[in-house]
Amino acid sequence: MRLKTKIRFQDKFCSLLFLTIFFIPWVQAQTKVTWWAESNADRDPVFQKKLVDVFNSSQNEIELVMEFKENLNDILRTAMVAGEGPDIVETPGPSYVKEYQDAGLLQSMQTYSDKYGWKDLLLPWSYNAGVFDGEFYSAPKTYETMILLYNKTLFQEKGWKIPTNLNEYEDLAKNVKSSGMNVFSYGSTGWQPTHEHLAGMYLNSVAGPDNVYQGLIGEKRWDSPEFVEAIELLRKHMVDEGYWSGSLENYYSLGWDDFHAQFANRNAAMMTIGTWTFQATENGFKDISDDWDWAPFPNLTSNGGEPSFLLALGTTLSINGQSKSPDSAAKVIDFIFKNKALVLDMANDFNFGEFVIPLKYTSADFGDNVNPKVRRYLIEFAEATGKGNYGYTTWTFWPSEPGVHIWKDMEVLWAGELNAQEYMEDHEKLWSKARRKNATLPVGKR
Amino acid sequence: MFNFSKNITAWIFLSPSLLIHFIVVAIPSVLSLGLCLTDWNGFGKINYIGFENFYELFDDRVFKKAVLHNVIWTVIFLTIPIILSLTTAYLLTGIRRGQLIYRLIFFFPYMLASIISCQIWKYIFHPIHGVGNWLSQYGIDFLEKSPFALKETSLYAVAFVDGWHFWGFLVVVYITGMYQVDHTYYESAELEGATKFQKFWYITLPMIRPIFVFSLMIIIIWSIPTFDYIYILTQGGPAYSSEVLATHLYSQAFDRFNVGYSSAIGTLMFIYVLIIVSIFGILQKMGWNI
Amino acid sequence: MEYLMNFSFRSRDQIPNYIVLTIFTAFSILPIILLFLNSIKPQEEFGVNPLGFPSTIRWENYLDAWILGEYYNIFLNTLKLVIGTLILCLFSAGLAGFSLARLKPKGSNLFLIYLLVGVSIPAQMYILPLFLMWKQMNLMNTHIGLIIIYAGLNMPFATFLIRSYMVDLPEDLFDSAKMDGANTFQTFLLIAVPLSWPVFLTTALVVGLAVWNEFLFALTFIQDQSSKPISTILFAFQSRFENDWGLVSASAVMMVAPIAILFMFFQKRFIAGLTSGATKG
Repeated sequence: MRLKTKIRFQDKFCSLLFLTIFFIPWVQAQTKVTWWAESNADRDPVFQKKLVDVFNSSQNEIELVMEFKENLNDILRTAMVAGEGPDIVETPGPSYVKEYQDAGLLQSMQTYSDKYGWKDLLLPWSYNAGVFDGEFYSAPKTYETMILLYNKTLFQEKGWKIPTNLNEYEDLAKNVKSSGMNVFSYGSTGWQPTHEHLAGMYLNSVAGPDNVYQGLIGEKRWDSPEFVEAIELLRKHMVDEGYWSGSLENYYSLGWDDFHAQFANRNAAMMTIGTWTFQATENGFKDISDDWDWAPFPNLTSNGGEPSFLLALGTTLSINGQSKSPDSAAKVIDFIFKNKALVLDMANDFNFGEFVIPLKYTSADFGDNVNPKVRRYLIEFAEATGKGNYGYTTWTFWPSEPGVHIWKDMEVLWAGELNAQEYMEDHEKLWSKARRKNATLPVGKR
Repeated sequence: MFNFSKNITAWIFLSPSLLIHFIVVAIPSVLSLGLCLTDWNGFGKINYIGFENFYELFDDRVFKKAVLHNVIWTVIFLTIPIILSLTTAYLLTGIRRGQLIYRLIFFFPYMLASIISCQIWKYIFHPIHGVGNWLSQYGIDFLEKSPFALKETSLYAVAFVDGWHFWGFLVVVYITGMYQVDHTYYESAELEGATKFQKFWYITLPMIRPIFVFSLMIIIIWSIPTFDYIYILTQGGPAYSSEVLATHLYSQAFDRFNVGYSSAIGTLMFIYVLIIVSIFGILQKMGWNI
Repeated sequence: MEYLMNFSFRSRDQIPNYIVLTIFTAFSILPIILLFLNSIKPQEEFGVNPLGFPSTIRWENYLDAWILGEYYNIFLNTLKLVIGTLILCLFSAGLAGFSLARLKPKGSNLFLIYLLVGVSIPAQMYILPLFLMWKQMNLMNTHIGLIIIYAGLNMPFATFLIRSYMVDLPEDLFDSAKMDGANTFQTFLLIAVPLSWPVFLTTALVVGLAVWNEFLFALTFIQDQSSKPISTILFAFQSRFENDWGLVSASAVMMVAPIAILFMFFQKRFIAGLTSGATKG
């Protein structure tokens, strides 16, 4: 009797020991993957609930932790240089990826891309923008393009039409101004690089995307007449004509909230902005009788022609070179890419202003809850870019130094201290410096 | 021998502050200054490139503008806030009732964080919901456009906001000095029939000289690395019209990834500081009581 | 005591003083009153009534800001930083100021020059190396790490202020203490500090404020949400709720209020201290 109990006890003890040795380490083996993201009051809870929580409950191998940071870029850089930082590195675009990659701070994701077939899931241009030195380093987290918003109700009342060439564009502007409104609503306070949105639109619409492509790959100088002409036209429209918010100074002093209000209040007839605006514009028009719509920014040559969509990546995802669990980080990224429904659902929560991962969507992917304007944009964008009607934004394809020059020194041009020719000569100098230092960014073949 | 041990004690007294300041400021600064001869981008390889950064700096239009703006900034702060706060402090010592409340109010803006003062004045100068729009209803339109957005005024507008924040501090500093003045001087001057201005000029000013010189010094010293207000209000724009050395340095290091180049700017600022400080040193040698 | 100033007061003489002072006061205070009005304004009113009194008062802006910013925790963090910095900074700056003013060792000019140069170096220049050092020393994300930084940053100013006050203390007190056999530290602690407590108050005020309001270093060196101080929360608010003037103004007022109250409380002692220091001298 006693013996028996003793054996039993030992038995129990052994199995307990067994459990402790084999089971508990297995429980603890859950790998932690950290991801730092730029914080945003509206979006953070959605990311937590619809991505992090869903991912964590979908498996018990990896624990994803998303930390929302203010001023992410500076904090991330200092941490990365110190050999720290998160497993998943979020940057504001390829020029940052380039610097991290050059410094050897990122891990190549080529093997993961091959293993999981990411190349086939993503729109080709967006995949190519992540290929550095022949290897895949950064995955797109959101894409965007510049568009022209207009007050649809107002346009119907006045019989105005979206222009298709430079003449129509300037005539429309004249008409809008003579009815006492500003032509476009936009402003740069709070985000000085706003100027580059306009610069990119004019370079592509006036000089044409083919020329811009040649500029990017170094076959055409940036001080060539077609580029100078584009920049001079923008200067004329901004400074002499005051297309944006009435005057250069007002454009300088309006912020996000102000220019949205100006557009919704009919103080401006149109707005030039990126697709990140959808949510704010929807909200702005929620309680008023006017309706809005969008069009691609028109071709501004004298003959006109097809407008083109500018390609732009909002944010990118990479894997930290110091990461202790790159395989798990890749699994997180793969989870996102393979879950179209989840991505679309979240993007829809942001009205397609964020987390629009450039996956190959078809119209069947969209539910009824998607705003028809947004759906039209996603489908038209895919069609047009498929046909080759696309241009290039400065913040996705310009190396960092000319990329800063284009908006910072644009103000010097607008202040009249330089002319367009001199400005573009400076610009070309910085490009050739970037080429010398091998700092240019990937551009897919056109 | 006595002198030697006295020196040792004195330096022991100095050592805690020296140690802390060394760790926090001196060592990292020296590390950073060392980068001025390299092309480090803040991420990876550090290459030695000789004096190339400095050659580039002397061709840099923005750098030249920034130097000029720093000088203007110093001159502005050495004149307007000082005159205003000396006057105010002196007037304050001349009233019987309400001194406390006045002083409290003058000091109030100094208690605000730079982000708060900037927020207030950005709102006031806003072209839509600011004072400018309101005034233009009455035909006064000089504030219709935000002074932060005009290249002619941006630097002065930012200096105005910083000055608004800062001058109350000077008032308190000066009044600290004025309270230390023995009031029997004033009584005897009054017996001789001196005017307010004479008393100020012949008694107050000489008596508060140590604190006055001290205030000149901190203004000069503080105006060299000035950053917050400009960065928050205009980011150096429009068209670099409010760019100063510190914002230029910051933009080079954090927007353009030119850490080496920004260290070169820092090095020149450092030399500039050394010159200013040696001038004070010489003045002190000449018998000024600083 | 406090009105024993440079005049025998005749009320007629004071009128111009009052007029000028009142104009200056308006310049200083009106923008802040506007901030306060904005903090109790409902969001809808900003468009139509940007500068005036709100027609309906909305105190909920404060409640919203309090909850969104987790202010209870934030205040505690900030208080910790302020008190820690004051202890470290005033103690070492007091010793240094005393040494420079009374002991005047060989090379004290060098020390002064060193401090002056230190103040003038822009923080943007050394923040990156400092970050790397703090990482090495495991001081990142700790309050003590930030306290050391703040003490270092404010050290020069504190030292100068204390020194320039102690220079004017009468020599004979120190001499007689020395004759009584007091050592240097005792003369510092028992004579210099009690005599110069007004300047310690002034210094504490200025340093405490600087810490309360600082955000560049706080933003870089504290990344845990739970240990963040107040300035970084306001900074975050301004970018996250850019459009919500009421909310942002309310959180700005909450950041100013404790300091304002403290200052009002100290104002009397502050001035009494200064005047008694002057008359005793």
